[in-house]
Amino acid sequence: MRIAIQSWLDERFGLQAIMDFLKKKTVPQHKHTIWYYSGSSILLFLAIQVITGFMLAFYYKPTLEEANKSVARIMTEVPLGWIIRSVHFWSSSFMIALVFIHLIGIWLVKSYRNPRELTWMSGVFLLIVTLGFGFTGYLLPWDDLSLSATKVGTDIPRSIPVIGAWVTKFLRGGDDVTGDTLTRFFSFHICILPIFIFLIIAVHVYLIQKQGMSLPLAVEIKKEKVREIPFWPNFIYREMIVWLILLGVVFSLAVFFPPSLDKQADLMAPAPEGIKPEWYFLFLFQTLKIFPAKILFVSGDTVAVLLIALVGVLFFFLPFIDSKPSETKGKILTLIAYAFIAYAVAMTAWSLLE
Amino acid sequence: MKLRMMKKFAIKKKFLVWLLFFTFFFLLFFAQPQFSQEAKPAEQGKALKPEKSPEKIVPSPANIKEAVGIYVFLAWMWLSIIVLIYFLRLKIKEVDRLHRLGYFSGEKK
Repeated sequence: MRIAIQSWLDERFGLQAIMDFLKKKTVPQHKHTIWYYSGSSILLFLAIQVITGFMLAFYYKPTLEEANKSVARIMTEVPLGWIIRSVHFWSSSFMIALVFIHLIGIWLVKSYRNPRELTWMSGVFLLIVTLGFGFTGYLLPWDDLSLSATKVGTDIPRSIPVIGAWVTKFLRGGDDVTGDTLTRFFSFHICILPIFIFLIIAVHVYLIQKQGMSLPLAVEIKKEKVREIPFWPNFIYREMIVWLILLGVVFSLAVFFPPSLDKQADLMAPAPEGIKPEWYFLFLFQTLKIFPAKILFVSGDTVAVLLIALVGVLFFFLPFIDSKPSETKGKILTLIAYAFIAYAVAMTAWSLLE
Repeated sequence: MKLRMMKKFAIKKKFLVWLLFFTFFFLLFFAQPQFSQEAKPAEQGKALKPEKSPEKIVPSPANIKEAVGIYVFLAWMWLSIIVLIYFLRLKIKEVDRLHRLGYFSGEKK
């Protein structure tokens, strides 16, 4: 019976060809192999986000009057609704953290080098889209904190010369954060960004399959024969262990540390004190804060935003800047990676302690 | 043989250290906002205000039955995870042995 179903499906989907490909695919084993696990774990959290997101969307109403009330209803009336929301919240944080870890890992082992430039660039796009999910999702509970944080967040692009005001207006759907911003963010969160993320993941995964798993520069330079294991089933079993542990940690955190919900946002009320974005934006937020109001004759915010944008562009084109990573420039860029990590951690800690 | 075992042990130890590091990092890092949300108003110099805004919802199990259900589920989940990891480790050992023998590539060494 099982064989009959299998061959029926194989005839239609060509499953055997996929299985043959997976069996032929190999994964190098070396001291940096741990970085390989971060990619699939991101997909695991994306799957959790999609499932819990669907469940939340059954009850969520993206209107000015109903948004906060519907989230409150999810948390108090819907059976285990608070856990679903909590898993969605924690899973998003884990996903973003893993995207950061994945990219930093690739940067440190120099896996972006020729011919994997496009794989790196699609990865940076994935980071941007993932952060977009975090930013748009933060407003959806429509409480005081999310409203104020979104006002601050959408005001930042205004400092960009020429297009800044237009970007802010586009994000808000008007001059200020209103109900239109809420519906706009909701459609970004559940329609536009998911399309982007699945498209980019498809390209990213295709490129990884096309180019094969990269070897870290340090391993490649040694020119020693690296042990390889089959992706299926040897590597998948190892990945399953990582997934199980991560699942356990996320569910436990979701039960013991669920996110609370503040009272409904009041558009006329002044911003509450101590507004802070989510942890993944804290280092950028703190960077903006340390800039003075004026630098020579230019606004400090404009300088800060342009500097951040410049760093972002350099980060995106890293494979072309560091085209020969084994040379001195490559070593300097590795040091810059460590400096960036130290800076981001220090700024985040500073912002949390303030 | 001894060297191989020592290497294996070192890899396991490294893995455990990394795992513990990330677990504690996430716990400390992410738990912080939750703690700050529950900070007493007196600590923020607002002693006259009520401890929690009446509209603020801090989620928790609805009743003792739900609470017990959740904690039992968590306990079972971790137990299942530990058992599954044990079986997966056995499977890994087996498939690695088969790989060394050339079973997957159709060759015999």
